[in-house]
Parts: sequence; structure tokens; C-alpha cells
Amino acid sequence: MLLFRRIGFFLFLALAGATSVRADAPTVTAVLTSSETEVDQPVQLQIKVTGDSNANPPEEIAVDGLDIRYTGQSQLMEGRNLRFTYSFVYNYTILPLKAGTFTIPPQTVQTSSGPLRTPALTLNVAPNDDGSTSTRRGKGSLNLKDIVFCELVIPKTTAYVGETIPAEIRLGFNTRVPSRLVQPAMLSGQGFTSQRLPNAAEQNPDQSMRTVNGRPFEVLTFKTAITPARSGKLEIAAKDAKAIVQVPRRRGSRPRSPFDLFGMDDPFNDPFFNDPFSGVGEQREVTFSSETTTIDVKPLPPNAPPSFSGAVGHFNLTTDVKPKTAQVGDPLTLTATVSGRGNFDRVNAPVLEDDRGWHTYPPGSNFKADDDIGLSGTKTFEMVLTPNEPKKKVPPLLFSYFDPLKEKYVTLKGNKLPVVVEGGAAPSATPAIASATKNPQPPTAQPTAAPREQDILYQLTDHGGWGRSFRPVFQQPVFWAVQGIPFLALVGFFGWEMRRRRLENRAGQRRLAWEQESAELHRKLRRANDPADKYFADALRVVQLKTALAAPGRAVEPNTVDAETAVAAFDLPDEKRARMRELFRQSDELRYSGRGNGNGAVAEETRREVLDLIDSLN
Amino acid sequence: MRARIFLLLCGAALCLTTPAFGAPAAAADAEKIFTKANADYAAGKFPAAIEAYESLVQSRNWNPTLFYDLGNAYFRSGDLGRAILNYERALALDPNQPEARANLQLVRDQARALQLTAGWPEAHLDFLTRDQYAWLAMIAFWSGAAILCGLYFARRRSVVWIFALALSAAVSAGAALAVYELETGSAGRDLAIVTQKNIQARLATAESAGTVLALPAGSEIKILSTRGEWSYAALPNDLQGWIPAKAAEPVRL
Repeated sequence: MLLFRRIGFFLFLALAGATSVRADAPTVTAVLTSSETEVDQPVQLQIKVTGDSNANPPEEIAVDGLDIRYTGQSQLMEGRNLRFTYSFVYNYTILPLKAGTFTIPPQTVQTSSGPLRTPALTLNVAPNDDGSTSTRRGKGSLNLKDIVFCELVIPKTTAYVGETIPAEIRLGFNTRVPSRLVQPAMLSGQGFTSQRLPNAAEQNPDQSMRTVNGRPFEVLTFKTAITPARSGKLEIAAKDAKAIVQVPRRRGSRPRSPFDLFGMDDPFNDPFFNDPFSGVGEQREVTFSSETTTIDVKPLPPNAPPSFSGAVGHFNLTTDVKPKTAQVGDPLTLTATVSGRGNFDRVNAPVLEDDRGWHTYPPGSNFKADDDIGLSGTKTFEMVLTPNEPKKKVPPLLFSYFDPLKEKYVTLKGNKLPVVVEGGAAPSATPAIASATKNPQPPTAQPTAAPREQDILYQLTDHGGWGRSFRPVFQQPVFWAVQGIPFLALVGFFGWEMRRRRLENRAGQRRLAWEQESAELHRKLRRANDPADKYFADALRVVQLKTALAAPGRAVEPNTVDAETAVAAFDLPDEKRARMRELFRQSDELRYSGRGNGNGAVAEETRREVLDLIDSLN
Repeated sequence: MRARIFLLLCGAALCLTTPAFGAPAAAADAEKIFTKANADYAAGKFPAAIEAYESLVQSRNWNPTLFYDLGNAYFRSGDLGRAILNYERALALDPNQPEARANLQLVRDQARALQLTAGWPEAHLDFLTRDQYAWLAMIAFWSGAAILCGLYFARRRSVVWIFALALSAAVSAGAALAVYELETGSAGRDLAIVTQKNIQARLATAESAGTVLALPAGSEIKILSTRGEWSYAALPNDLQGWIPAKAAEPVRL
């Protein structure tokens, strides 16, 4: 938002630079934000110079009873009917030091047109709320309590040793004074322990607003807890909080204007415009502490119960056990939950009222806090215990603490938890022996070590060979060697199948070639322009090809097909069988007797018969 | 010539896959020592029996019976932690040995030894052993590979065979996962047994560190890492802590 303001301002300046008309003569005015105030209540004086950017305001304004300090300047652009005027506002903070009526005399402002004078201003100062008619400070001193304060809030003034007490450290900052916390306060004193306070980086305190002596303060609240470690008077304070505050400084510095006289939402009333390059005000690190608080710490009364481990507060106890049924020797998990408010760091596990017949193991614990400082919460203990004999219940747990309200020790007793624990002193002997008798190869007994009840079983002598390994089977070479068998089988199958497919593919290609050749010769025979020997040779080739094609899987070569093979390959009537044989005979005769013995052309009727015969071979 | 090469390769493979190859004399010695140890045990000379059994363990002549008998000898001599350790070793070699299982339960009760809690997968995968799962994974894998190969060459891919392929893949993957769970679980390769008495698992590698859990001898732990003379282990009751490395011995040798 601030950025948009600034960008808008520069745009506005550019527009103003193009269209503005300077005022003919500079003017000067002076106003007070309020003509009525109290001692220590500051008001603002603003001297506004219009039409001259090089005006020189008064460096010091001296009025007896008023502390007047220059706090910076701001610029103001005003436009009316596209006429823009540019004003400079010089800000002064007036801090009344005493009550009375004061007159601020006219001040001389040097401008390029000559000196100008402001009007005289009157300020009425009333005594402040506490009735004092003058400030408690000397002139020019800084009252820290008006800017920051530190409080240590402890809800009680008496406590017992070991009792955890909540405490709050409150740091207040005047919202009218820019300030920044550098270091929270630390608890100071002897004879107590406290929780570690977060440092400035990790702090996340509660924030609230409060008015102190008419001044608004933002209050940061840090919560902690303290635990007295010894009896007696305990003096404790929150000390050494550090903050950086911004205080007004005299002429030369340029702090921001603390209020906006010429418009509450004036975009030009921004620290950036006061002095964008050298910061605002005078920054000073201040250290402040709280008042010392005294706590009367009393010792714990004597005769603490045996189960008391130092817990002080108010607690409740619940218990549970799982499983509800078990055999002797089986572990049971006993859960004890201690909840309430107190020093949980001293809350130890409850103890069994009677642990005879039980074997207990050290418990584990888990604490869940219900507040920020761990004063309230729930601590859960889990204990493993094993029964040494049959039992019907788990003995109650005892937990003792000191109640500071009742001012006496309290012993909590958990419920008796019913369980069913069965079996003898060694319950597993019976099932173990029973399982051994199921062994199909009973062990060889050693006669000198007769088994007794609840005793281990006999030695074994049959060992089944030496050299067994603990390595899993998949880490042994034999396992991976066995993998080779299916692997090789799979590779063999894959190779065999690929070869079969390749061969099948070759046969298919041959059959395709035969079909193409047969079709070509068939067309050639229909054209009837070949000599007889060529014609019959082609006709014979067609018959051979069709015969080979008609015998799939037999791998018949066309060249080896004779008349009887061809006749047998097709289901032909006798007439065509004879014609087939005649075709083979004529072809052989023409081929082996020479071209001169044959007729030069094939008779039309013969050609038709040949074609008819070939067409019937399908 | 081919037959000779084949025989040579078979012989080499046999040598590689048979650990006991070429050691018949050692086996005979082991047999004598084992017989003597059994005789010492029967005569009540338990320390001598333990020494003899341990010599066999040192010479890596292992079998489930040896560890079972050694566990019995330790039990008789009052060392319940090592008795449990050797019963566990016997069961690691033969998970179905009933005598070791029975004696382990009995001694564990007497020692009040704590046991690791088996995870859900482990608790529900106990119907086969780890090695059986490994073989099952292998068989399912190769079956699936064969089916896949057949489907690749088949003119028509049957739904039944596709289902069989999916089933094989699922069985193979499931069995492999079971092997992993059993191998890395509470009874897996990192299982160790506390063999010393009065061992406290601690929060840090120092005797002065806070106590996590008291571990009776014979308690199960799972070694997670070792730092110097300390081992970080998963403990019973879902706890974790540091124990002296010498206080526990791994089940698997």
C-alpha cells in the first residue's frame, strides 16, 4: 500500500510539473493540533510554507515551560482547477513541562521573497491526572516509563518448595513512539528454577492493548513458570529487557510527523516523504526491568508417604492393564495416567501397592501438556510386569503428591484391575512337550537325563549332516544354479520356436512364388500364340505347380511331379485323368522329339481341352 | 570331446554348490566330537559338553541338532541367555524343529526374557518359511516367464493363460515381498539375543545415560546399527535404545 502511495506521489509530481503554476508570492501559516493539553501531553506545531521550496523555518523555538523540538518536514501538493500549489510543512513537538497559558510568539521564516512571520499561538496547559502541575523530569530528559514498561505478574505470594507457579512478564510499548523489542526480560533471583524464555527470534508472545496514564500501550506477554527450590523469602524480578525506541531529536534530524494536520488520510503524510534517505528520529536502545516481587516459600511438611516423589500440585490417576488374560510369565502392560496441574517434571511412575508375585520392569513415560508452560497436562506411564504365579487382579497403583491448597499430602490409589492369570510356575512345559510328541521322528533319548516335569527335552543325536548354513537360500549358489534350468529351457524353447517360424515363413514364400508363376503361365496359355512345344511345356508346368500347391505339408517339388502324381493329387473323372496323361505324354514328346516333329501351332480344340483340364485342377 | 567338457562342467558346478565337498575327513572328526559332547552331557559334564559343542560351532560344522544340544547344555549350566540364543539358532536352521521350540518357550519363561513384537506381515506369513517363500517366488516367476513366452508365440491368446500369467506374477511378487518381510522383520537377519545379565538399554552410548528398558538375559533385540562398543537396537515393547555390543550375540552366524 505504501509503495502505491509513493508511486502515485511521483506520478502526481510529474503531472504537477507539467501543469503547475507557482504561486505568485510565498505565504506562511502556523497551527497547533490542539490549544488545550496537559502537562506531559505533547501537541504538535506545524508551520506551513506555500509557494517556496527553499524556505528556512526557525531552528529553535524557545518558550519557558514548553519543550519544543523540531521533528521533521513534509510536503503537500494541493490542486484546484488544474492549478497546483506546493507546500512544505515543518513539524514541531511541544511537550508542556508545567501548567499554565503559554504564548508561542510569531516565528520568522526566511523565504526567497524575504522573511515572513507566523501568527502568535496560545496554548493552555492543565495539570495532569495525578495533579502535578509540572513535569517530574528535567528539561530535555526522557521519561522511560512513558515509552516502555516491564511487569512481572505472579498470582500468589506464598508457595511451597517444588510448587510450580505460573508467571507472566509483560512488556509495554507506547504505541505513539516507534519501538522494537530486542531482548525479552529475564527472570532474576536466587532459589528458584524457571522455564527457559524464548529469545527474540523465536518469541511469539500474546499481544494486547492497554492504556496507562492516558497513553496507549501495546503489551507483549511472555508466559513462564517458576519453581522454588528452597524455603524462605524469594525475591524475583524480570530484568534487562532491551528495546530500541525512536525519540524526537532537535533540529538537524528529520523524524516523521506524528500526526496529520491537513488530512487524516493524507498520502503525503508518510515517513518516506519526511526523509526517505536518512531514516526517522533518533533511535536509542533502552534497558528496562520490573519491580522486584517477593514470594514467601514454605518447606514441605515432614512425613511424606513412601510413594511421594516430589510432585506438588493437584493430580488425578487412572489405570488400565492389557491383556486381561494371560499365562504365568506372560507380560502385561499396565498403563497409569496422571493428569492435572503441577510440576510434572517431578511426577514419577506410580508404584504397585503389593508387588509380591510380580516381576516389574522400568516404565516408559510420555507427557502431553495442555498449556504453553507445561503446568497442566497428562503424563502416561507404561509398565511391563509379568506374573510369577496365577493371579486374579493386578494390585492397585499408588501415587502421592503434595496439594498446596489443602496443604497436605494426598495419596491416590488406582483401581484393582481384574485379570486372569493362569498356569503353573512354568506354564509352557506342557505344550512344549506336547508339541514334541507330534514329531514324526521322535528324538533319541539319553537314558541318564530323564525328563522331569517342567524340564527341557532330551538331547538329540540324529543331526542329519553337517555344514548347514544360516544364509538364506537365495544367498546360496545352488539357488541361482537351479535358476539356470528353467532359464535354459526357456531360451531353448524360444530359439526352437523362432526357427520353426522362420522355416514356415520360407515355405510360404515358395508357395507364393508358385502361385504367381502358375497364374502367369495360365494367362500365357490363354493368349495362344506360342508354338506347340512351348505351349505344352507351359501347360505341363502349370499342372505341376498346381499339383505341388495342392499338396501342402508334403513338400512336393513341382519339377518332380509326373502324370500319376498329378492324377492322384486331384479328384478327377476318368476322362480328365486320361487327358492328363495325354498332356504329359504330348509334352514329353514335343520336348524330346524336337521342334521340327511338332506342329507349329496348337489346334484350337486342343488348346480348349488343355485349358479346361487346367481349370479343373482347383 | 563334448561329453568330457560336459562332465568337467558338471563337476565344477558340483564343487561350487556343495560346501562340504572334499571334506569327508572333517565330517568324521565332527561326528566324533559330537558323540563325545553328547556323552559328556549325559554324564553331567556340562562345561565339557559346551566346550565340545562350541568347537564344532567354531569349525562351522553346523546343524540344528548341534545348536539344540548346545542350548540344552547351557541351560543345564545355568546360562539361560545362551541357551535361548542356541535354541534360536537351531530354529533359524530348522524352523520346524519341535524340540527347540518347546525348550525355547520353557527357558524363555524361566528367564522372563522379553520378545520383540512381530509386525503384521510377519505374524500372518508364518505358514511357510523364508526359504520356502524364496522357492515359491522362483517357481512362480519361471512359470510366469514360460506362460509369457507361450503367449508371445501363440496364434490366439487365451484368457485363461493371461489369467495364469497374472496369477504367476502376483504369486511371485507376493512371495518375494514375504521373503523381504521375514528377512528384515523381528526374526530376520538382525535378530540378536541378550546373553549377559542385568543389561540396561540406554538413551545414549554411555553407562550414565538414562535407562530405556531393563533387558533380562535371553531377551530378543534387533540390531539397527553399531557404533564402537555400542549397538543401537530395536527393543521389546516397541522401544529403541543403546546396549553394549558385547551384551548380545546375533542369532545368525
